[in-house]
Parts: sequence; structure tokens; C-alpha cells
Amino acid sequence: MISLVTGSLLFAYAGMLGLCQGLERHYKQVWQRSPSPALRLSLRALGWLGLLLSLLLCAQAWGWAMGAVAWFGVISLAAVVLVMLLPYWPRFAVALVAATPAWGVLHLFG
Amino acid sequence: MKNTFTQSMAWLHTWAGLIFGWLLFAIFVTGTLAVFDKELNHWMQPEIPASTVSQADAAKRAISYLQQHQANAGNWGISLPTERSPGLSVSTGDRRHGVVVPLDPNSGEPLAVRDSVGGNFFFRFHFTLDLPRNWGIFVVGALALVMLAGLITGIVIHKKIFKEFFTFRPDKGQRSWLDFHNASAVLLLPFHLMITYTGLVIFMMIYIPAGVDAVFEGDSRAYFQAQGNARVEQPRRLAKTPAELVELAPLLAEAEARLGPIGSIGIRNPNTAAALIEVRPVLGNRIALTKGNAMVFDGVSGKLLSDVPELRPAPLTQRVMAGLHFAQFGGYPMRWLYFICGLISCAMIASGLVLFCVKRGRKYAAADSRADAAARRWYRVAEVCNVGFISGLMVACVGLLWASRLLPAELAQREAWEVRAFFGLWLLALLHAGVRPAKQAWVEQLALCAVLCGGLGVLGIFAGGVDHLRLGVEVTGLVLGIGLALAAWRVACPKPVVVKPRAARTMEAKA
Repeated sequence: MISLVTGSLLFAYAGMLGLCQGLERHYKQVWQRSPSPALRLSLRALGWLGLLLSLLLCAQAWGWAMGAVAWFGVISLAAVVLVMLLPYWPRFAVALVAATPAWGVLHLFG
Repeated sequence: MKNTFTQSMAWLHTWAGLIFGWLLFAIFVTGTLAVFDKELNHWMQPEIPASTVSQADAAKRAISYLQQHQANAGNWGISLPTERSPGLSVSTGDRRHGVVVPLDPNSGEPLAVRDSVGGNFFFRFHFTLDLPRNWGIFVVGALALVMLAGLITGIVIHKKIFKEFFTFRPDKGQRSWLDFHNASAVLLLPFHLMITYTGLVIFMMIYIPAGVDAVFEGDSRAYFQAQGNARVEQPRRLAKTPAELVELAPLLAEAEARLGPIGSIGIRNPNTAAALIEVRPVLGNRIALTKGNAMVFDGVSGKLLSDVPELRPAPLTQRVMAGLHFAQFGGYPMRWLYFICGLISCAMIASGLVLFCVKRGRKYAAADSRADAAARRWYRVAEVCNVGFISGLMVACVGLLWASRLLPAELAQREAWEVRAFFGLWLLALLHAGVRPAKQAWVEQLALCAVLCGGLGVLGIFAGGVDHLRLGVEVTGLVLGIGLALAAWRVACPKPVVVKPRAARTMEAKA
């Protein structure tokens, strides 16, 4: 349960990060240059994919009825964390996404 | 009112937000704390031991106590130890005039437990503001409507919801407050809308009774029965025939298999042929709030007489909405989600209130300001209320926890004194805000609140009764205390606000 909830939070964070970096102003905020249109599009697509995976993990943890409720909370909180980190430590906010594959490895083989 | 639609909405959002925001903040803070009401109950009554006794054993001890001391009572109630509240207690008499005796689940002996309003106070305050129940429900309902209006008008006047979805620009004064207010509101919009709307739905029959009145001609009993809440009754003459009570453990096991964890047992007419055993689950096996539902067994044969009722679609809809608000489902992870979302809601309301003063403060701070004395006085009132209703309320809330541990355990009317401590502290905080300059008042009250929150653990060590639930309360208090201390520190030594000249800003935007 705890592992699934952690996973859904991490994927929600990764998803929100993808959507955020898919926007020109926030990409610039971190990398000081504009993203190419293709990169922007793929970041957004990955963002939505992350949110979707987060929903699946919520459903696995709680079942579909409660999972859907929890998912709204999870993606909201993940977005708040991202928005609070971004202006202070932009690179760290992006680097945090590395926790998602780390969790995946732990969850599958741990 | 203003000329355009957006201006009217902005006007409504500003003034309704300011005037009702103070009480809405109090409702949101106490509601957030009420997420952990049982844990706070447990913390505030340190005499209740942690126990790992099984429910069946606890029930057995409760029954043997009742057989010894209350064999002839008409009703028995047993509140069993659960994950969230490890206490065991028995009661006799009906719900309102009952006598409750806490027992030690390990031995079955009565336990001297201090009277305390517990976390229940926050729960009750959350929907009544401690007014007489029905008055409070109406006042809070009206405030919930204002909150809903605030959310809708907020959406209307926020022109860049998507463009500034991820935007927060710190250290820029008013801009930062607005950014934070927007971000915390927009990112948690599903939560804000859900919690406000479902809050109204809980008491919809009180707010809009016309439907039930029309169909059932005002007969609320008929209305409850139509929902499947009919009480099982045994023939009265049987209540005079003595009979032996059936063994509880198998019934508990059966009910647990069907309903999930059990919360309490009620026994009507114990030790007679009319005995009925009602087994109620803890809330939270499903989203729908099924308060009061029970499996009813014959107290002599142990036969199942009535199962929990299946809800029909309309009541089910209402119960699911109530359940979404009460957050009893989904276990501790869900509870934490609600708690943290609630904290951010509180911060959202508080930042809106502060924003009002920051925005206007600049106008009045200018030396050559032409603002007249009356406007300045009103501004000062808003400033004082902001401090008193935001940091002052938080001091009062954590002060209630301190009062529960510090007031002498045998004090007469102890619960009333705890409530007095809560309102007394709140009033003192308002007075303090009134006599101190705004900035000092913020710093002092936030710092006090931080110390009180962080110190819960210290109090816990000296006043005793440490177990994992209480430790959870204390650690949470410590974390919140650190957050409040940071807030106090930032108010005390603010970073200089960097306001770039307009030319530089446009250059930067082009770069």
C-alpha cells in the first residue's frame, strides 16, 4: 500500500514536471533557452502519461472508486511541491524525477 | 459594485473573502485537525493505555464487567479498541444520558480517565462554531455558500489559470502573495470545490427540508424507515424472561468478515429472551458514510436478524458525498492526503487575507497618502483581525491540546475549562494583535504557536503516556512547529523586495 501510494505520488510529480517543462516559460526558467517544438510536445505527452500511470497506481492501491478520489489529491499535492521547488531550486526540481525510476526498480525487484 | 462583470466578481471576491475569510479560516483549520480527531482524543487522554488485545478478548472483558456491575441495565454499549483509538469503554443507558466507563483493555478493570473535550471539539467547532447545534449548522452552511461563491468568483477573475498554472515568484511582495494564493487555489481546486460542496450536502435535509416534508408530511421517522433504517423490535413480554446471553466472539467474527473492522457493539435487553446484539463497523470500508448501520443478531440464539441495509440510489449519492467530506475511507494514506490538502486550503485562505492587507498597506504606507483617517482605521481593523484570526486561532487550537494535559485531572467541569482556555487564548491573541504593531504581532504569535506545536513532544514526555499514536501527534506537531517558526522568521527578517524598474522588466521579458 505505502509503496503504491509513494509510486503514485512520484509519477504524479513526474507527470506535472513534464507538463510544466512543456511550457516555454518554465523550460527557460530551468535551462535558460527555448525548447524545440518537438521537445515541448514530447514533454507534454510524457507528462500526461505520468499522470495516467499515477492514476493506475492509485487504483491499484485503493480500488477504482477511492483511487480516483485519491488521485486528485495526489496530483494536486505533487503539483504544489513542484511549484514551491521550482523558483528556489529549479535544477533540483527537475532532478527529483530520478526518484521515479528508482522507485520502479525497488518496487519490481525489492 | 463595479461596471464590468469581472470587476463585480473581483469586488465580491475581495470583500466577501475578507469579511467571511476569518471565520472560514477557523472552519478550515478545525476541519483539518478533525481529520485526526480520534488520534487527538487519544493524545488528550494520556491515561488510556496502548493495547494489543484482540477485539474478541476486549469484548469478553467488557461483557464480564457489565455482567458484574450492570446486569440489570436495559442497554449496554461497548466501544471496542480500534486501529485509531485503542481505548475500551462500556456504557449503559441511552445515548444522551448514558454513563460511560473506560476500561483497561488489558485487565478489564475500570480506568480513571480525565474528562477532555478531545479532538471532538475541533470536529464540533468545524460545523457549529461552538454555537447551539442548529444555529451553528446554519451559520456554517451560509459560510460554505460564501466559500463556494469565493471559489467561483476566484475562477472568473483569475484570467491566466492555465498560463500561470505553475507560476510562483517569491520575494516580490504583493506579487508573491498573489502567486501563492492563486497557485494554492488552482492546483487544489478539485479539493476545494469537493470539500465545500460536500460539506453543504451533509446537512441538505436541514437546509432544504421541503422535499422530505412534502413526501412524508414532516414525519422524519417515516423518512428514516423508508431508507431502510427500521429498528428490529422483539416482543415486549420476552424482555421479562431471563435468558443467557450468547457468546459474542463468533458474532464478531461473522460481522467482521462481512463488514470489515468492528467499532462498537450495542446490546438491548441483555440477559433476557428479548436480547438484541447490534454490531457496528468502524466507518470507512467504503466511501459512502454509513453511520449507524449495524448487523443485528438475536442475543440468545445468535441468529442474524437484520443485515446492514442496501442504500437506494438517491440516499447512496448523498452518503457518498458525505463520505467524501468525512474522509473515513482509504485508511491512513487517504487521511494524510486530506490533512495535507486541508493545510494547503488553510494557507490559501490565509494568503488571501494577507494579500488584502499587503495590497492596501502600500497605499496607506506612503507618507503623502491622501487616505482619510476613517479608511486608515478600517485598514487597522483588518490588520488586527488578520493576526487575531489567523495566528491567534492557531495558538488557541494548540493551546487546547496543552490545556488538556495541564489542567488538573480532577478539576470539576474540566471540559468546560478546556473550551474556556481555547476561547480565552483566542481572545487574548486578538487583544495582543490590537495593542502591538502588526509585524511584531505576527512574529510573536507565530513564534508562540511554533513553540507550542513543537513542544507537544516535550509535554508528552513529562506528562506521560507515550505510544505510537501519541508520538505521531507529537511528531506532526513538531513538523508544523518548524514550518510556523520559519514563517515567523521570514516575517521578522524579510528579504528586501526586489522591484525592478519597468524598463528592466520588459527587457527581461524580451530576452
